Amino acid sequence: MARYQNMFTQVQVRGPLEAGPPLRDASFTRTGTGFYNYWMGKFGNAQIGPVYLGTLGMASLMFAFLSFEIIGLNMWASVNWNPIQFVRQLPWLALEPPGPEYGFSMFVPLDKGGWWLIAGFCMTTSLLLWFLRTYRRARSLGMGTHVAWAFAAGIFLILTLGFIRPMLMGSWAEAVPFGIFPHLDWTAAFSIRYGNLFYNPFHCLSIAFLYGSTLLFAMHGATILAVGRYGGEREIEQITDRGTASERAALFWRWTMGFNATMESIHRWAWWFAVLTPLTGGIGILLTGTVVDNWYLWAVMHHYAPGYPGTGVIDPATLPGAPK
Amino acid sequence: MNRIDLTRTALMAVGGLGIMMLGGCEPGPKQTTQNGYRGAGLDQIVDVRHMIKTAAIPDAPYPLPPDGGPKAGETYQNVKVLSGLSTERFNHLMAEISQWIAPPEQGCAYCHNPENMASDEKYTKVVARRMLQMTQAINSTWSPHVQKVGVTCYTCHRGNGVPAYKWALPTGAPHPGSILGNRHDQNELSPDAAYSDLPTTGFADYLYGSNNIRVYGTTALPKYDGTGASVQTAEKTYGLMMHMSKALGVNCTFCHNTQAFGVWNLSRPQRATAWYGIRMVRDINNTYISSLKSVFPDNHDRKGPLGDPYKVNCMTCHQGQNKPLGGVSMLAQAPALWGPIPAFVKPGAASAAATPVAPASPVPLAMNATAAQPAMK
Amino acid sequence: MALLSFERKYRVRGGTLIGGDLFDFWVGPFFVGFFGVTTAITASLGTALIFYAASLGPTWNPWLISIAPPDISYGLRLAPLREGGFWQIITICAIGAFVSWALREVEICRKLGIGYHVPFAYGFAIFAYVSLEVIRPFLLGAWGFGFPYGIFSHLDWVSNTGYQYLHFHYNPAHMIAVSFFFVTGGALAFHGALVLSSVNPAPGEAVKSPEYEDAFFRDTIGYSVGTLGIHRLGLFLALSAGFWSAICIIISGPLWTHGWPEWWNWWLNLPIWS
Repeated sequence: MARYQNMFTQVQVRGPLEAGPPLRDASFTRTGTGFYNYWMGKFGNAQIGPVYLGTLGMASLMFAFLSFEIIGLNMWASVNWNPIQFVRQLPWLALEPPGPEYGFSMFVPLDKGGWWLIAGFCMTTSLLLWFLRTYRRARSLGMGTHVAWAFAAGIFLILTLGFIRPMLMGSWAEAVPFGIFPHLDWTAAFSIRYGNLFYNPFHCLSIAFLYGSTLLFAMHGATILAVGRYGGEREIEQITDRGTASERAALFWRWTMGFNATMESIHRWAWWFAVLTPLTGGIGILLTGTVVDNWYLWAVMHHYAPGYPGTGVIDPATLPGAPK
Repeated sequence: MNRIDLTRTALMAVGGLGIMMLGGCEPGPKQTTQNGYRGAGLDQIVDVRHMIKTAAIPDAPYPLPPDGGPKAGETYQNVKVLSGLSTERFNHLMAEISQWIAPPEQGCAYCHNPENMASDEKYTKVVARRMLQMTQAINSTWSPHVQKVGVTCYTCHRGNGVPAYKWALPTGAPHPGSILGNRHDQNELSPDAAYSDLPTTGFADYLYGSNNIRVYGTTALPKYDGTGASVQTAEKTYGLMMHMSKALGVNCTFCHNTQAFGVWNLSRPQRATAWYGIRMVRDINNTYISSLKSVFPDNHDRKGPLGDPYKVNCMTCHQGQNKPLGGVSMLAQAPALWGPIPAFVKPGAASAAATPVAPASPVPLAMNATAAQPAMK
Repeated sequence: MALLSFERKYRVRGGTLIGGDLFDFWVGPFFVGFFGVTTAITASLGTALIFYAASLGPTWNPWLISIAPPDISYGLRLAPLREGGFWQIITICAIGAFVSWALREVEICRKLGIGYHVPFAYGFAIFAYVSLEVIRPFLLGAWGFGFPYGIFSHLDWVSNTGYQYLHFHYNPAHMIAVSFFFVTGGALAFHGALVLSSVNPAPGEAVKSPEYEDAFFRDTIGYSVGTLGIHRLGLFLALSAGFWSAICIIISGPLWTHGWPEWWNWWLNLPIWS
């Protein structure tokens, strides 16, 4: 029974490092020639590098570094520059957005959320530059720009959380703080404030696409590994010139569930499931507070909130003579 | 380092980390309670070994004497709150207070000048007088919260001059205008927010101030009138609720069906009890404790960094149990604390004055009505 | 016609685990096999019971139908049908159907001469389900801790069970699971996009080879995991997401009863800080 299941590469080939096809319309050359790493080769490609830095890449990294530093230094300052406490309390530390009193003003004192605005601006700039970079890298190789647009879907969600929705609500206080535990607190408080996000249909869709993406990747990854002995991982060849790997992969699912994708269409399924996760999620966020104030009550209105036996408890504030 | 060494080191590191994380775990037996419709997840799961046990309640210093005989106001000088109480009972209560609050080595001298027991020269005596009024007010007007169990000095003090669990107004940013040391009153690793990162300013806002805790949207669609709470405000109330859960040793579903936090008809009666509790705590902090600001000495045993006297929150009484002291009432041994006692009036001044412990209850009708719901099981 | 053009030569006998040739046939596109029969029986029975239980309930609104587990006072015993017994039988049927399905996948793998990766991966999904409905309720001593079968009622269970720990996002295993879910989603987007961008290149371009795929990711982030590696990575990420989801709920209750934020005190109290 013990058979090779293709989980790790057993024999690694060493030859000249791959330099990559020539780049078109590139202002720089690739940096370095790359090198081999034995342990990386166990799992995937052994070659690390080269990399193309380029104008957009360096600008993006610079802004990413700025935002990272602003966030990190704000957190460090909050523990009085104590390095030990900085490490100890790091998951608790935060860079908080401005309070409700500042509305959506662009000019907020630095210690009252101004640093948050600057860090957010730097992060946004970095992400947008990186989006342009993925677009340009693809075009430079004559490829489609699917990666760039998938990345853009993620950026849409981030911008929705930190900019578009606060703008529509007219308050930075609606935005997400930077910080590990703080952003989790925001998520929970957001759901409580707007009446249980589980009743937001777009949240439902987003979760379904997220779980669906995971399911798809498990199905797809497992299928390709299972037909690895027939060269299944050479997907582009299988798409353009179907071989037995592709046939067996297709038949596995056809026999299992009566339906199969093709070697190309599975990647369309994948792309759409993954991209729709942040898109539907972002829409759900965007609608919260702007057009729906309480998702549970909205669900009651539209007959999809389950009822439970009433407890008969009355709001004490509505009783005559109640204390204030 | 050869490969086997590497593997071994890695295994040890992973194992060590695993053990460390399991160190925080409770594999012991659990006690479970279902508090709502089946399958809705409305359960309390308590680790029996880590449950807060009721501490031994001290026996009364001596058996409660019968009521009768001369009144304290006749026997002693300068008795203001308990003058209508019989001297025997008065003495008994004083002995209890001494046992409940005063350090044993000081006894009566904690509040009184032994040379002149009637003197108000010690501030502790002035405080104690106000606290007696407070306790009587709690038991008589806040029965929707304290119900028939009531409270005594011991509920909070537990043998300490200053109750163990208290709070004072937050200092805000240590260096105004700077981010140095500024935690924005949150992200403070505080037991006050059950160790979450949520704000702890809820005490000042909701247990001292009377800001609205109801951040939950009340209509399906926004009203666009600017009254909607911000997410940051929601975090403050969440922080307060974390405190309440921790103080009572319960989880959110003890009161709420989290399907809809704000909906009363899905909530348990305990939520109404807590609602009165919040108002009771506000009353305590504002009417009683704040009135003592000038009486307390300026030291940090009694006052917070901003010079306000230490205040109470849920933990002050509850101390990790959903019913303080496990729901045991100590009032049978201290009946004078049930409510205000009509003052002693010299004979002939009024005929009705001598009525003993009146079941004084200026409770609004509504509060009594709901008090029936949280009924003691 | 159910057969694909190339399908006939793959439809060979053999490879079954149980039953020899008895169930070794196809119905339309579906392979049957012994486990196909058991899947059909358990899945139909379970589905029929869901419909029957729903018919006894107050609504046919598909969003509101809910078949709830017994009260926890029943402990690990059987409950009357209308008080959670349906839930218990449906759960047994579901597990029967899921396990049968996995074993049927094994038979299909054997028939096609391919690896067992898919049934192995599916095993993680079954594990996650069993964790929720069997392992954790068993550890807590009552079937009533399982989630109800209903589209929105199961979300209420998730919500309330989460708030039993005051703030479930602080559950370390939940953090790991959610991170794996997000990373899986990102990796899937990039893998799907990369393949599509190679076979749907810029206008007027020829289809690009894996060399270009590697070059794109090396140019962008300095490393390309490669055509084989991305499927190993994807499978690992996806299975990790499922595995840690199961862990995060198993530990909630059986191993931790307080608020999850409080759990982190072990980190704050490490002796290394002083």
